[in-house]
Amino acid sequence: MMKKRSYMDSVHFYGRIWCVLALLALFAVPILMCVHLKVWPDWGVVASGFASVAILFYPTGVIEVIAYAPLLGSGGTYLSFLTGNIANLKLPCALNSMENANVRANSEEGEIISTISIAASAIVTTLIIAVFVLIFAVNPGFTKVMSEGALAPAFKQVTYTIFGALAASYFVKHWKISIFPIAVLSLLLVFAGTIQIGVLIFAGVAISMLGAHIMYKLKWV
Amino acid sequence: MFQDFKSDGFMFMLAVGIVVFVIAQSLFFMIRAAKRGKELGITKDQIKNTITSSAVFSIAPAISIAITVLVLSVALGYVLPWIRLSVIGAIQYEVPAAEAAIEAAGISGGIGSPITDPKVFVAIAWVMTLGCVLPLVLIPIILKKVQKSVSGAVNKNAKWADLMSAAAFIGLIAAFLSRGIAGIGEVKVNEAGEKINVTIGDGAGVLSLAAIISSIVFMLILTFINKKLKAKWLEALAMPLSMILAMGVVVLISTFAPDLAAIEWRY
Repeated sequence: MMKKRSYMDSVHFYGRIWCVLALLALFAVPILMCVHLKVWPDWGVVASGFASVAILFYPTGVIEVIAYAPLLGSGGTYLSFLTGNIANLKLPCALNSMENANVRANSEEGEIISTISIAASAIVTTLIIAVFVLIFAVNPGFTKVMSEGALAPAFKQVTYTIFGALAASYFVKHWKISIFPIAVLSLLLVFAGTIQIGVLIFAGVAISMLGAHIMYKLKWV
Repeated sequence: MFQDFKSDGFMFMLAVGIVVFVIAQSLFFMIRAAKRGKELGITKDQIKNTITSSAVFSIAPAISIAITVLVLSVALGYVLPWIRLSVIGAIQYEVPAAEAAIEAAGISGGIGSPITDPKVFVAIAWVMTLGCVLPLVLIPIILKKVQKSVSGAVNKNAKWADLMSAAAFIGLIAAFLSRGIAGIGEVKVNEAGEKINVTIGDGAGVLSLAAIISSIVFMLILTFINKKLKAKWLEALAMPLSMILAMGVVVLISTFAPDLAAIEWRY
């Protein structure tokens, strides 16, 4: 018991240190750009641009932390919020790994598998983006192949292939609680098809959890 | 004079620095987790399988993220979008964030025309940075408390807690699937009042549905084979393989039946 507490505590301890370092690294980017270019921005422009971005993304930023953290585990949360692309990459990746390893998301084994999975995903993703950007930069012809070539349509649909494959393993296992959220969300989209994916995710999670909770109380699951 | 300032050697060095930082952090947590895993009795094979399947799983999505760099590169060069999409960035955030910043600078072309003024460029870099840092400020403060209350709920009623985490994830899957079934892509209305589909492939249509259905079918087939053969390596790769095969179906449809592929019922 003592040991367990100490691993989880150390995850938070080092996680916090890495967060502070990450903030320093993130702000170093625009600061160093300004120093290098010997020019500072018009802070009025920054403030008004920031205001419109913050209105859009700060509320979802708060909800994301609270909603994803229990699913990602602590180590996984520290890692995935630094590299981003959580809903469409890190979270599905971690859940697939926990499913394969047969560990529960809410156990320490789940925490370990999730952390390893997200770390591996972050490393591969970062390296692939780097390699592709370098190729784009030196070879404009390749840019055209990737954005207009025969493979381009497939990369536009990659998110759907992720969630289709996940649905196959999750819906089969939990079909009782799956029907309700899909039906409600599809109906919602029929009437309001332009809802942003961020909003749709939170609606989906809320509806699904509510449905599952009611079914649990009714002893259907 | 500042022709190439957005993608010069200095900028590339900044990006490389960020890449090294991300990899260092990931390795740090991975090694510690693997050590602890050994103590808990997680086998070497399980850890190896987790790494392999996660790595292969990430290839296709990572390439699609890299392609988003292209969308932003017209206005911002390669390096700033690269940095932004390597840390915290998500496709659905960076484009609107850049657009908001460009608009605030009073430039009308949006992300479609190159930024030539360094003063504007650094302003955009600041806005994109400030716009994305909130989780990194929040997490050190609240994560421990959030996780404590979660584990409290788990200890009280493990069955309910497991059901809730499955339900949360099913909600996430349902959101993306329903968008592929009935979501509307980017639409503009022309002078004649007709709706025009701006980006082919972003609204619900033949391709999104083909991607969903074929990845479901491939996953079911691979899971079935897996159960028959009891092949551990296949279990780890079932998911990425289904994704890649489903992407193949999308390529086949759009290559051999482009008219069919262009059908989107919601745009």
